[in-house]
Amino acid sequence: MDVITRHLGEFGDGLLITVELTLLSLAGALVAGVIVAAMRVSPVAALRAAGTAYVETLQNIPLLVWLVLAVFGLPEIGVMAGLFTTAVIVISLYQGAYMAEAVRSGINAVPVGQGEAARALGLTFTQSLRMVILPQALRTVVQPLGNIAIMTIMNTALAAAVGVVELTAAANRVNLAEAQPIWIFVTAGLLYMALSACAGLTTGALERKLAILR
Amino acid sequence: MVRTLPGLRRPAPRRPALRGAALRHAGVAAAAALSLAGLAACSSDDSTSSAVPGAATGGDKEDLTASAPVATNIPAGSTMDKIKKRGRLIVGGSLDAPLLSQQNPATKKVEGLDADFGRLLAKYIIGKPEVKIVNSASETREALLSNGTVDVVFQTYSITPERAKQVAFAGPYYSSGLVIATKKGETGILKPEDLKGKTVIAGANTPAIPAIKKAAPDAKIVTFGSDPECVQALKQGRGQAYVQDEAVLLATAKQDPTIQIQGKPFTSDPYGIGLKHGDAQMKQFVNEWLKNIEASGLWAKVWKNSIGTVVQGEAPQPPAIGSAPGSE
Repeated sequence: MDVITRHLGEFGDGLLITVELTLLSLAGALVAGVIVAAMRVSPVAALRAAGTAYVETLQNIPLLVWLVLAVFGLPEIGVMAGLFTTAVIVISLYQGAYMAEAVRSGINAVPVGQGEAARALGLTFTQSLRMVILPQALRTVVQPLGNIAIMTIMNTALAAAVGVVELTAAANRVNLAEAQPIWIFVTAGLLYMALSACAGLTTGALERKLAILR
Repeated sequence: MVRTLPGLRRPAPRRPALRGAALRHAGVAAAAALSLAGLAACSSDDSTSSAVPGAATGGDKEDLTASAPVATNIPAGSTMDKIKKRGRLIVGGSLDAPLLSQQNPATKKVEGLDADFGRLLAKYIIGKPEVKIVNSASETREALLSNGTVDVVFQTYSITPERAKQVAFAGPYYSSGLVIATKKGETGILKPEDLKGKTVIAGANTPAIPAIKKAAPDAKIVTFGSDPECVQALKQGRGQAYVQDEAVLLATAKQDPTIQIQGKPFTSDPYGIGLKHGDAQMKQFVNEWLKNIEASGLWAKVWKNSIGTVVQGEAPQPPAIGSAPGSE
């Protein structure tokens, strides 16, 4: 057990990086998700096609492949960003595809009459989406978005493979010195569980606050 | 205006179901092809630097196991006896470590120093070089040994007193050292102290990480999973230096003229043979085998066949058995 207490600093630093990575990626993913979902329901065929292509490409290639391609491939064509920045952008875009599908399901759950009423009032497509459809859509998908948030926390562990020293990489380094994998990885697992529990509780509270009874 | 709503809420299931399914399949196939193409592009990029040590020297190697000794004194009921009855030695090792334990993609044979020692030990116990390599990692080695999934570990397993609390170490069977590599033409990095304040690349889960921390506590360490990734990162400027085992770096620098080795090895890493903790009988047995092959010159031949293909000169003296703290 003193293996853990001796390396609290390393675990703390790793946890902090995991939290930063998660929060920044989630923010990015939510923006990407809403934009892509709006594209997928837009009246312009080209935008719908682009949205579909985005979701299919991102979802059908594993995140690890994207991370490795971005970290080692992009510098070959002259695009070079820091490892943490690259990881945030890649995870944002990847989770954005899942966010887009969740948000789109929310849009489809808003009754047709709402859209028709918005149209009757003379709102444009963007206006009716922004002021009528999306506020209702997002409220219905709080729970799925929470699930994606938890998935994002877990997926940040893959950033360890491209040199970001987050919680998993930190646990690996501690284990390299101490050779006590069970204690060390159980600790890392408990920390991940605590993070997911936070995400779950926040989601629950948000849902109770925001849900619309229909 | 009228067109906006159908766009907003397109009723989904109007398409014939079949066409939808076909489209979905096409999408999956296209994405799979895309990812394969990406991977292929990636690996063909790496192949020049990673696959070479095995491929270049693979064909004409002397079969070392033919002349290898076989034990005559295996006590009944011992771990060795169980392995002999099973007919196969289960080794925890790597498949991607150049010169040490790397699978040749053409022949599927695992080649290198660690792989050869594994086969020789199998021959010594069983009478034939029957080995199954279980791909282990530094996170799992101790657990695999203690729960009996593997019999021995041959995997650049540096002997340390911390690890010796979890596993027993026979050997050391080889002593290695870490060196610093940089891009060609880099000046001012010759000693480990020169790494101060620099960004240094190291293989994840290698002894390089604690060694860099010790020599230059304020250096920023960036880790990647495999040697080709680390080399790529060095070339792309993600760090000024790359610290890795001397033999691995020699092989890399030989293949890649843009990489340069700076200075001499600055650590001494005694590699041990990982065994189940507390199995003194097996440890003694493996140490006897090691003494046997060191005395007969077989050890030097194994070295010549692997590390010796990139390091000039004769095989070094093997380290004294039991000399490393943790292997007594």
